[in-house]
Amino acid sequence: MSEQADQARLERGYRRLLACYPASFRRDSEEEILAVLLDSAQAGQRRVGLAESADLIRGAVRMRLRPPGRPPRALRSAARLMCLAAAVELGCLITIAVTFSSVRLDILRHDPAHWPAVAAQIIIDAAAAPLGMALWLFLARAVCRGQDWARLVSGALFCLLSAKLIAALADHAGAYARADLVAGGVLWVLALAVLALIFSRPATRYIQPQPQLSR
Amino acid sequence: MQEATFLILTALADGSQHGYGIISDVGEISGGRVRLRAGTLYTALDRLRIDGLIEVDREEAVDGRLRRYYRITPDGSRRLATEASRLHANATAALTRLNPAGGAVT
Repeated sequence: MSEQADQARLERGYRRLLACYPASFRRDSEEEILAVLLDSAQAGQRRVGLAESADLIRGAVRMRLRPPGRPPRALRSAARLMCLAAAVELGCLITIAVTFSSVRLDILRHDPAHWPAVAAQIIIDAAAAPLGMALWLFLARAVCRGQDWARLVSGALFCLLSAKLIAALADHAGAYARADLVAGGVLWVLALAVLALIFSRPATRYIQPQPQLSR
Repeated sequence: MQEATFLILTALADGSQHGYGIISDVGEISGGRVRLRAGTLYTALDRLRIDGLIEVDREEAVDGRLRRYYRITPDGSRRLATEASRLHANATAALTRLNPAGGAVT
């Protein structure tokens, strides 16, 4: 049998095994991996070796078992930070509930005129915490699914947290509700880290995939 | 980080390479101990691309067949450097304990 016929037979064998791979991978990489397999073949090789077959089947099984469109590390880390932010929101709510009486007494004793403003802020914070928890968890799910709008909403949330933190500092909330202010600062740092991750290059590549290079 | 991943990133650390080049380089780096097969290589390359540790540098047609070159990304370089430092520290600690007097390890 001629060398060309041997190579054609070997190629057919490789293509049969590559048919086990997911269609999206084959569209993108079948010709490339086939070229590597043929380059790696020994001179005069006519059949696919047992070890090669096992390796290709193992690779195909791994790719098929891999969750479809598994998000990159940056987005998985961002989602974990968002879950942490939801936990901090819960911590805020608990802190507000536990410290409310002491904050009230402290303000009424030293600066009673300031109490209505602080009380309004505390009520807003207490109402916002459960909403914040739900929003963080919703956004974590959305970014893992590659939803681009979730990045914009996260950016808006960061702006809101920044404005809230600045307002709290301007209102001297640190003097009366230090724990709440610290929690607000932690949330702000978490939101900043989330933004850095979800707008990183790997995350952007996943959310806004570029067309394949022309062949 | 798995050894195959570490070796692939190492192969790409000083320049872009195509699939067959990576297989050859990994064999050389590991002193012939690790012989990557195409299935293992492309499963790893696919994962590394998703994680943003490598990216496609360019494509060429050689003898009518596609040849795609990969390069390491800045994220990939950082991960490789971190892993190399970790392995180096572990190896140093092991050798120090095996040989506290400073003599040759047998």
